[in-house]
Amino acid sequence: MNAADMLRVIVVDDEALARGLLRELLGAHADIEVIAECGNGFEAVKAVTEKKPDLLLLDIQMPKLDGFDVLELIGTEVPVIFVTAYDQYAIKAFQVHAVDYLLKPFGAERLAEALTRARARIGARETLPAKALVSEARATRTPLERILIRDKADVHVIPVAKIDYFESQDDYVSLKVGDKTLLKEQTLSELEQLLDPGRFVRIHRRYLLNVARLAKIEQSMTDSRVAVLQDGTEIPISRSGYAKLREIL
Amino acid sequence: MHPILGSVRRLAFYLLAWILIGLLLSAGLGYGRGGDWLTAVFFFVPLGVVYALVTQSAWYVCRIFPLVRSRAWHLAGAQILAAIFASAIWVAAAGAWVRALAAMGFDAAGSLYDPQRPLLFVVGALLFWLVSSFFYLLIAFDASKDAERANVELTLLAREAELKALRAQIDPHFIFNCLHSISALTATDPAAARRMCLLLADFLRETLRLGGNEQIPLAEELALADRYLAIEQVRLGERLNVARDADSSAAGCLVPPLLLQPLVENAVTHGIAQLVEGGTIRMAATCSGSTLTITLENPCDPDRPRTRGVGLGLELLRKRLTNHYGAGDAVYAQEQEGHFRVELRIPVVTGARA
Repeated sequence: MNAADMLRVIVVDDEALARGLLRELLGAHADIEVIAECGNGFEAVKAVTEKKPDLLLLDIQMPKLDGFDVLELIGTEVPVIFVTAYDQYAIKAFQVHAVDYLLKPFGAERLAEALTRARARIGARETLPAKALVSEARATRTPLERILIRDKADVHVIPVAKIDYFESQDDYVSLKVGDKTLLKEQTLSELEQLLDPGRFVRIHRRYLLNVARLAKIEQSMTDSRVAVLQDGTEIPISRSGYAKLREIL
Repeated sequence: MHPILGSVRRLAFYLLAWILIGLLLSAGLGYGRGGDWLTAVFFFVPLGVVYALVTQSAWYVCRIFPLVRSRAWHLAGAQILAAIFASAIWVAAAGAWVRALAAMGFDAAGSLYDPQRPLLFVVGALLFWLVSSFFYLLIAFDASKDAERANVELTLLAREAELKALRAQIDPHFIFNCLHSISALTATDPAAARRMCLLLADFLRETLRLGGNEQIPLAEELALADRYLAIEQVRLGERLNVARDADSSAAGCLVPPLLLQPLVENAVTHGIAQLVEGGTIRMAATCSGSTLTITLENPCDPDRPRTRGVGLGLELLRKRLTNHYGAGDAVYAQEQEGHFRVELRIPVVTGARA
């Protein structure tokens, strides 16, 4: 078997025993090479970024970043087989185009079956619409409680309450968190739909404001208005934005 | 089933009562009205016994026209008609008996009957209604007894349902994860796999057993929590630490079963398991005066996605404790900066196991 036929696999599970079992079972497959084992989602994103595996075996229930969070962060770069004791995520796993969904406890045969599917998927070089996958994955957990940002190999988890406002930057959105600015690859309209409309208001084509940060609204010259935040930052308010804001306040 | 004719004992009591009525009638309508004592008694007592049987028909009238659910005039009409019939039989029987007595030589009997026929009729009707009232009372008494029994059954049923629900609280995912760990250990550490099997079996058996009791010593509840945590420690490894501090007087207190278990499970699944670094679960129980205080603390991720179920578990526990101990809030939960603490304050109950 030449190196090109080898499947390079990363195993992600927060339980050492579960990782051990996967390593043991995968050992029986000559064409599989486990290139990394990760104990949490952060390590998983890092390992995927750095090692570019061919396949990810991914636990769902993990601290801070669960399996779906990891998937959201890595996009469609890698085919995924979910591994979990919970059957209630099966539909969601299907929606995000997982290769397979292994229910713990599982045996060697079931794993072999999943690997066969993975090989077929990889062989066919199936590509998935990245954007669709990401938003579908998120659709089931609105309103968003936190924003996940992948900064190369690092991951930032930002609770939405800590965000002052979002600013549109073409295909990106910048998040203002105190004096920090973070970038996320997503459109402002998408985010607006995913966030709680009672807490985040699109006050302008380019701005989505955390209403809790609003200190006052000032009338500038002519009839345009400006939102003044608690830290003194000023953001323009459009006419329709003002109407939306008044509805909420 | 007829309440009186159906039981020899009751029939005996009933007839005895009618013999007394016969004696009363002898005194009221017999003695001093032209008859001597003996004649009066010979006239009224047997007559009373016969009428005792005739008035049993009142039972059916009462059954067909229950007191509460019949229209008033239906009921009154039926009772009046029945009383007229019964009393007519009573008067006719009296007439026949008088003739028989006369034939036997009780000449005075005639004077008890002939002049008093209208009065006898009225008395017959009144006696019929007396029996009717007695039957209505009996029916009401039976109904209240039935209601009481139904109530007791309902309470038992509710308790059983509660216990069943309690036992069903064992999270199936906990078992699946456990089995997965065992499966992982079988190749690498068979002895540990066996230990885990036994721990799991013990935990399940104890959960089922404790759930069947009204109250259990806190010590047993704590032992169950220990088993659960020992299993989770195999799974979570170094991420899960446990510190326990229960004074001996607290350990002896009686508590409702599976009181701590949902809290301990919460602490693991929503607390420790959500932390990359893990942490320590602290359990403590103290007795002071008449209050048993149980606290459970664990670190948690303040930014974790809120899942449903945590608040619900606490709410169920709160309801359960209110039901068990009567009024008063017994569950105090608070979360602060990545630290979750829940405190139960319940009355100290000691003594023999219920």
